[in-house]
Amino acid sequence: MKTKHEIEFKMKTFFCLVFAATLLSSCKKNEQAVNYAKITAAGQMNAELTAPPMVPKPIGDRKAMKLKVSMEIKEQEGTMTDGVTYTYWTFGGSVPGSFIRTRVGDEVEFHLKNHPDNKLPHNIDLHAVTGPGGGATSSLVAPGHEKVFSFKVINPGLYVYHCATAPVGMHIANGMYGLILVEPEGGLPPVDKEYYVMQGDFYTQGEYGAKGLQPFDMNKAVKETPDYVVFNGKVGSLTNGNELTAKVGETVRLFVGNGGPNLVSSFHVIGEIFDNVHLEGGALINKNVQTTLIPAGGAAIVDFKVETPGNFILVDHSIFRAFNKGALGILKVEGPENKNIYSGTIQDGIYLPEGGTIQKMPNTETTKTATPKRTLADKIKIGKEIYGTTCFACHQSEGQGIPNTFPPLAKSDFLNADAKRAVKTILKGLSGEVIVNGKKFNNIMPAQNLSDDEIANVMTYIYNSWGNNKTEITPEMVKEQR
Amino acid sequence: MKKIILLCSLFLALQSCKNAKENSELNNDNNDNNEITDVSIYNLPSKWTTQNGQDIELKSLKGNVLVMVMIYTSCKAACPKLVADMRDIESKLDKKSREKVKLILVSIDPVTDTPKRLKSFAIENKMNQDPWIFLRSTEDNTREFAALLAVNYKQISPMDFSHSNIISVFNTQGELVYQQEGLGVNNDKTINKIKEEAQKTK
Amino acid sequence: MQKCIFIIILFLAQIDFIAAQESKMVPIQEGSFVPLYGTTSKKPIVVKSFFIDVYPVTNEQYLSFVKKNPAFRKSKMKEIFADKSYLAYWKNDADFGNANPKSPATNISWYSARKYCECQGKRLPTMDEWEYVAMADEKKIDARTKSAFNSYILSWYEKSKTYKNLVGKTFKNYWGVYDMHGLVWEWTGDFNSIFLSGESRKDKTEDRNLFCGGASVNATDLMDYAAFMRYAFRGSLKAQYTTRNLGFRCASSTNITIK
Repeated sequence: MKTKHEIEFKMKTFFCLVFAATLLSSCKKNEQAVNYAKITAAGQMNAELTAPPMVPKPIGDRKAMKLKVSMEIKEQEGTMTDGVTYTYWTFGGSVPGSFIRTRVGDEVEFHLKNHPDNKLPHNIDLHAVTGPGGGATSSLVAPGHEKVFSFKVINPGLYVYHCATAPVGMHIANGMYGLILVEPEGGLPPVDKEYYVMQGDFYTQGEYGAKGLQPFDMNKAVKETPDYVVFNGKVGSLTNGNELTAKVGETVRLFVGNGGPNLVSSFHVIGEIFDNVHLEGGALINKNVQTTLIPAGGAAIVDFKVETPGNFILVDHSIFRAFNKGALGILKVEGPENKNIYSGTIQDGIYLPEGGTIQKMPNTETTKTATPKRTLADKIKIGKEIYGTTCFACHQSEGQGIPNTFPPLAKSDFLNADAKRAVKTILKGLSGEVIVNGKKFNNIMPAQNLSDDEIANVMTYIYNSWGNNKTEITPEMVKEQR
Repeated sequence: MKKIILLCSLFLALQSCKNAKENSELNNDNNDNNEITDVSIYNLPSKWTTQNGQDIELKSLKGNVLVMVMIYTSCKAACPKLVADMRDIESKLDKKSREKVKLILVSIDPVTDTPKRLKSFAIENKMNQDPWIFLRSTEDNTREFAALLAVNYKQISPMDFSHSNIISVFNTQGELVYQQEGLGVNNDKTINKIKEEAQKTK
Repeated sequence: MQKCIFIIILFLAQIDFIAAQESKMVPIQEGSFVPLYGTTSKKPIVVKSFFIDVYPVTNEQYLSFVKKNPAFRKSKMKEIFADKSYLAYWKNDADFGNANPKSPATNISWYSARKYCECQGKRLPTMDEWEYVAMADEKKIDARTKSAFNSYILSWYEKSKTYKNLVGKTFKNYWGVYDMHGLVWEWTGDFNSIFLSGESRKDKTEDRNLFCGGASVNATDLMDYAAFMRYAFRGSLKAQYTTRNLGFRCASSTNITIK
């Protein structure tokens, strides 16, 4: 009898061992890298290219195919920020250039077209290409001509592409960069919203905010001292009506690139934590990350679930770039509040984007400029722009202010009672306790370094919005109070 | 009076471009040869001299598949390799193709490479017979021909040129059908192209 | 007697008409300089004295050329000598449409530019000759080290549609030549003598297999971005190419005046 038990026991252990062995060996198989170069592509399709911040549809389950990409290069003038224009060199008419979405194993037939009105030859280096120059050797194209070359994408990931014609730094600095995504088999895990954001540094002859068409400044580029650091090619590309949107409870994925040419980005979304970060756009996933480093000529994929409503600010956390050079965007999330996760009554930390105007403590000198005559409609229009860059951060977009911190401007008794006092507030600043619409506020408003004309415009706008008493302020009224 | 009118009209006639005659020749050629297309090198009217001192127009090579390369005889670095590449291509051609193919070496240094010099080079390299031909022309024609082949070259010293290394294949109508760039490159594709074009002849 | 005078007047009028077609040239004295590309060492090369057109060739000048040379008309042009965009902005063979007669003629290939100069008894300038004249500003023969000069040229690269401007509106340089910068790119006789592979980051290394002796012929001054871009542009061209921003002017080793 004993022997029977012994035999049974031995059989059991034997089978257990065999079972364990098969388990282990299957694990090993999973670790072996798939040779993506061996995937055959069948069928053909034209790639859907999108302008930022939108991205093409996910690849889903589709098999590897022959993908035709048609990219046109255009040199064109665009707006950097209010009153400031810049000559951008673009892939597909936008900075960053069109987003290309592929699946690993796709054979991409790349048609690079140089618009006949362009002055310069260009080419393209896609970091997703395995081949000399990333395609640059085969794609130098003169204006009015087209070059075709093809490559197979054999590494999944998010990659930068850019122009590589001499002088390379100048071509990149003028906006010639974009992202190409190579999705793995089966695609990335589905999410509710996907967006395309790319940071770049710009070098202009004038300083930040200097008006007019600004030429590129090679010396500043060599010294790596940019005047503008922006998302998607210009200041305000993701604010003031252009915010990214999502609803509470949705998962949001951002494909974030950094075209450079020089700076590395410390990418952070204020009020959110990245649930997953594909480090440097590759396969390694980091979790619960606040700020991720995106190298120049690199990218990252971040995704997170939005749990509470509000405005979540995308920044480069080298913070002066966000507040003084334009590296600021907004993700607007709407939906029901979630008091558990966030109580919502007091904003976590005070957020003071200074924009382009210099903040000073009360009672200091201001500069003089010539004041042109304007119509009421003009003043309101210009005033709205000024409000959007200088005032909205504290007083918010509908003048509602922030309870217990910054007084409202909408239907404000304090404002409507005394226009002269309002002008003085902007000119000289205000500190100490004030009562507005029955509530107490005790904070510091810094004096604003704006001209008579600018103050008149922004105040006229404020008085003509949100139920205020429609007073019109003139530059002379402002001058009186200096 | 009449004399003045005659003088005036003579003067006027001389003012028109001196090359008008050449252009009308071009037009005539077009009318005669319906077969050559707009992209054929046989559109070039330039005159070339072979290593045997014979003056020919490119047109006379029509009907053959041409494999062309641009070199200069005093070249020490790449040209021997290019010549070897050409030789390799020639050896891989089958008998039938070889009948329809001419391998042509064009000099980018016509000043040094006189027909005599080309001849001695040909003999040295055992290339002084069919299907090999050496050609040279004026500096101007050479620059024009190189531009056609997208061959870049520059004289960097009295004895030395720097130039790109390209072997070009033209079909029987003189249209450029293939180019092989670089030295010692795998020439399978080039050879297949030559065979393909050779088989197309009537 | 009256008839004689009438005919003489006609005769003189004819000379004026022809003079309008011949372009003014100025002499460039022999000099030497180190070009950005094209030398094996940083030693200067010699540019022998020659003559160059004061302005690039204009639309009206090119029109009279094609009138006399039917083979170079838009409808008759062969693809081996100029690609499909040859004179793209011209309405037909004898009409340059809305373009200004005194704007530079563009969308012209290297072959047609050469032929035009040949017809005038001239030729295209060599790259070295062109670069030698182009490095002058108003006062100096060699202004390449002046940052204002380079800024001016670089800023032109960002202005669009300058081909619509009239010739002679940019600055007059030391030699009395206009529009070397600020108007259009220009063909040179030996544009195909430099070796830029299109992969500009690799062009610094040797690639003996692609270019025999070419690796030694590299950029001499990495800060001369303005010149860099001109050479990059030339490197992207083929002889048949035509493009809206590319025109030309002629040069000659001897002075071509009205005979």
